[in-house]
Amino acid sequence: MTRRILLACLLSVAAVGCDEKLSSVTGPTPQLEPTLTSIQRDIFGARDLAGRQACTDCHSDVGRNPSGGLVLLGGRAHEQLVGRASSGKPGAIRVIPGDPDNSYIIRKLEGAPDIVGVRMPRGNGPFLTDGQILVIRRWIQLGAPNN
Amino acid sequence: MRYIFRCTILTVIVSLGASVPSQGQTVPNDDPDLALQLAQPDFTLVALPTTLRVPRHKGAFRVTHRFTRELGNGDFGDLASDLFGLDNGAQIGLEYRFGLFKGTQIGFHRTSDRTTEFFAQHEVKAQSESFPFTISAFASIDGTNNFRDSYSPALGAVVSRTIAEHVAFYLEPIWVNNSNILPSALVDNNDAMLLGLGTRLRVRPTVYIVIEGTPRIAGDKPNVTQIGVGLEKRAGGHTFQLNFSNGFGTTLGQVARGGTGRSDWYMGFNISRKFF
Repeated sequence: MTRRILLACLLSVAAVGCDEKLSSVTGPTPQLEPTLTSIQRDIFGARDLAGRQACTDCHSDVGRNPSGGLVLLGGRAHEQLVGRASSGKPGAIRVIPGDPDNSYIIRKLEGAPDIVGVRMPRGNGPFLTDGQILVIRRWIQLGAPNN
Repeated sequence: MRYIFRCTILTVIVSLGASVPSQGQTVPNDDPDLALQLAQPDFTLVALPTTLRVPRHKGAFRVTHRFTRELGNGDFGDLASDLFGLDNGAQIGLEYRFGLFKGTQIGFHRTSDRTTEFFAQHEVKAQSESFPFTISAFASIDGTNNFRDSYSPALGAVVSRTIAEHVAFYLEPIWVNNSNILPSALVDNNDAMLLGLGTRLRVRPTVYIVIEGTPRIAGDKPNVTQIGVGLEKRAGGHTFQLNFSNGFGTTLGQVARGGTGRSDWYMGFNISRKFF
């Protein structure tokens, strides 16, 4: 009987599904999730705990001309990003649903060598962490829904 | 998760205390598990488990060593000057297993990247004249950072077939959860289904050739299938194995994450010692 109990106990432990917490990779934005609502709230529209500036500090048409012709204010980011051509690099698409590698926003955030202009966010950082970029990549990989 | 783990360890300790014979009580020395099995002399192949039973209340220790110098890096002179990788760092594993009951063993394996694995194995059915295979149930859980992070539980079966005293074949379907250490919200697959394949061929009375491969047949498949080959010498209760593999994985979570590359080969060795 003891043997069966022990075996059942060990098997139960092994059967418990394990997963990493999303907050373990999202660093200074612990609530960040791969949805546009979350990305809008924690990345586009707000500074994070590391002091990175909000994207909407420059990418806004409220009282200014939006940098790069891109507006990332709530309610407008999706139509400004998904399937839209970059105004800075001819031929580049800001967000290609399902294809984060070729989405220009990712290349700008990662500072890829082929970008026009500087890595985003502008300045000397802090830039988005690898984990934050992974979340944006995942949103694009899932089809960049307006969720 | 940590609470469950602590409860399990407590259960194991209590069970150990309850089952270890008291003074004067003896374990019969005619236990067939004490006998050498010529076709299956050790508890592992290169990284994968075999169906060899640990005799009740006996133990076995194993050291795994995987030199991290890629053998194909540089020319032969470079390789020789590094003594084929021995001058470089290595991933080292220490393992101990104990026969808790007849046919049931438990153990732990810790590698020098601070991954710790606890495992249990129970023989369900033995090969006999009327049944062609030995089948063992296998369960393990490994965690990184001294079992504080990234837990990867595994469940599976080890199926073996020995032919006379010369060869043993292995088929090991094993499911590994959380093999992808990214959160499941960021990945398509968080699990991997492995199909371990292996053989041990006795080419001389005490010399064996060992081959294993662990393709991921479903789920997360990063890197490449880990493959290992070894030349093994049995000497009394010791087994010495010189091996070559394309990865460093020795726990199932590590094996599920694959080898480093198709042409990346590393030298290593396993040394095991039976305390019976």
